[in-house]
Amino acid sequence: MTGKATTWTRAGGHLVLGGLGVLCAVPIYWLFATSLRRPQDVSSAALLPWPLSLQNYADAWAALDLPTLLGNTALMATAIAAGQLLIGLLAGYAFAAWDFRFSRALHLAFVATWLVPFQVTMLPNYVLLHQLGLLNTIAGVVLPQLCSALGVVLLRQHMLGFPRELLDAARMDGRGSWRILWTVVVPNLGPPLASLAVLLFINAWNEYFWPALVLQRSNAVLQLGLRSFMGAEGNDWGPMMATAGMACLPVLLLYLVLQRRVVDGFVRSGLK
Amino acid sequence: MPRILRQIALAAVTATALATAGCGFGAPATTAAPSAPVARAPELAPDQPVSLVFESYNLGQAGPWSDTFTELLDQFHAEHPNITVTAQKPQGASSNPAADAVSSVQTQLSTGTAPDVVQLGFSDMAFTVDQLRAKPLDDLVGADTVQAHFDAGHPFAPTARTLAQVDGRTYGIPFVFSTPMLYLNATLFAQAGLDPATPPTTWDEVRRAALAIRAATGKDGAYVDCVTTTAKDWCLQSIVRSNGGRVLSEDGARLTYAEPPAVEAVAMLQDLVTSGAAPKLTQQQAVEAFTRGDLGMVLESSSVQGTFAEGAAGAGWQLTGTAVPSFGDRPAVPTNSGAALYVISDDPARQRAAWELITFLTSDRAYTLIAQKIGYLPLRTGLVDDPAALRSWAAQNPTVGINVAQLDRMEPWVAFPGDDYLQIRDGMMDAVERVVLQGADPATTLAEAQQRGTALMPAQNGR
Repeated sequence: MTGKATTWTRAGGHLVLGGLGVLCAVPIYWLFATSLRRPQDVSSAALLPWPLSLQNYADAWAALDLPTLLGNTALMATAIAAGQLLIGLLAGYAFAAWDFRFSRALHLAFVATWLVPFQVTMLPNYVLLHQLGLLNTIAGVVLPQLCSALGVVLLRQHMLGFPRELLDAARMDGRGSWRILWTVVVPNLGPPLASLAVLLFINAWNEYFWPALVLQRSNAVLQLGLRSFMGAEGNDWGPMMATAGMACLPVLLLYLVLQRRVVDGFVRSGLK
Repeated sequence: MPRILRQIALAAVTATALATAGCGFGAPATTAAPSAPVARAPELAPDQPVSLVFESYNLGQAGPWSDTFTELLDQFHAEHPNITVTAQKPQGASSNPAADAVSSVQTQLSTGTAPDVVQLGFSDMAFTVDQLRAKPLDDLVGADTVQAHFDAGHPFAPTARTLAQVDGRTYGIPFVFSTPMLYLNATLFAQAGLDPATPPTTWDEVRRAALAIRAATGKDGAYVDCVTTTAKDWCLQSIVRSNGGRVLSEDGARLTYAEPPAVEAVAMLQDLVTSGAAPKLTQQQAVEAFTRGDLGMVLESSSVQGTFAEGAAGAGWQLTGTAVPSFGDRPAVPTNSGAALYVISDDPARQRAAWELITFLTSDRAYTLIAQKIGYLPLRTGLVDDPAALRSWAAQNPTVGINVAQLDRMEPWVAFPGDDYLQIRDGMMDAVERVVLQGADPATTLAEAQQRGTALMPAQNGR
């Protein structure tokens, strides 16, 4: 009786999870299916794209300078992820390894920036970039995003779980704080650093709103290139889906390669 | 209080403090008197270098839109080597760059980086003049020069010349433009036993044909654009005007979309849905259904003809079109969508250079290129009869003739006045959507919306 019930429960669970999995995969399937339809068939609701055509990819390639967009987007995402990781590492180390005056208040200030909506800081950041002459540059997209509260909070959580004894032992061996960070802490934080790096990179890669404000004179990154197929006189779905397919492939590959580390990093940090 | 709650409360207080500090930056400073006379912009010396920023929502769209504009700007620079034009799209994150056009100029005005020439929609005209400080061209270059430009080469259509006028002064030169058309799926017409060569000319005929198509083919009959908030009101105004109504009184002081002719027009649209002649769809869904060949008729902008033609070729159905249907014997009144070019700059040299750019972009040569490559209707309508310009293009695009004919009896898409013009428009469209697609009572729903809209009118709130 119990065995039967367990089998049914398992089957039901698999059915629900399988259904949810299919639901999650359908938009991705539809994206690639639409991109592979002939241009005149993009409005078709047929499940299978037939006859297959690569014309939408050719149209996207002709309308956009895709290699430059890919290069710019990779540069932007790498710079943002590297900056956020470095600042997160240094700040998380400071908060976790030392008790200093106002440390709690400073930590709360970091957390509080998480709660301030982007729309609030958007205009001051824009004005500052204008004064610095960085509008319409990739540097202008990167600069205000160099620090992420997520990175600081996540790495602080990891470092709080780091054995104090190891730090004390290193100190007794005569190592300074800077060397302890790079020779003791960082080598032991491989999985969380890798998972956070992937997460920050994906976030930065998918960033749309801020580049849309800063890069007014070009569609220099992929997400803006995607938008350029939408307009006042209708949307060009075929090339848009082809570009979206190409845009998500690098991130998808990165995620597939590092998937285990990403999950590990979150499980160990206690944040879910 | 538990520690974690205390921490969250502290963080929230800090966040509020940061947020409030953030709000203090960059408050818009758009308080200039709109109708103050502006000094004449002096002619430029041939070697006087001037740099201009031109902002257009067409530049946000890849393909023929941005390519054509880039080509035009290259030609302009070749003709005016002393004027350097930097082109940009509106800043903002909307999927449709045109939706960001006004807020973009507003933001840049607040940071002192406003573009010199902008392309803005006709429905934003009052706000453009009052708040975005568009300069009266009659003052900048002289009314005679403006009229001479309208008459140069193939003259502007008479109904188009005054579209960007406020109180008799020309603030902008109408640029891109379309009118509503009733597109037909001739294949579905034939399958329903109807003759596509004699398309419906009244709304009663549209209803009957739509029901016949639905009964015979199982596909949807007819859809009218401009019945949802996101679709805006440009062709709703056409339908209301065709029934003798208005959404705004002629003097612009009073909302009138709850008066009987407007209510009757909206009730007719509701009847199309409740009778089963029209499906309950959004504009985007309707355009895609028609493109697939799943809809018999759609009242849409003339500018989407290319999309429909491509869909028809792919799905194997025949596309035809006709003019806006009428209410019985009363002549139909088409309205226009589209945009004008305005000068925002305060600098005299840039103002003159901006005028040079505007005259180039609205010349015979530019309209010929824009019509051929993008498909917009040329406002210099004589071009479509000129064998050296657009005659062969017009022959390949039979709907052009329908549009040019509609221009003669066209009336402007009226912009609501005041700073809250968008709230007024959206309030009206929200009511129309509830009536047409959700079955609300036309008279009471529109009356309530008009009452709320009236409170936002400039005369009511002192602005």
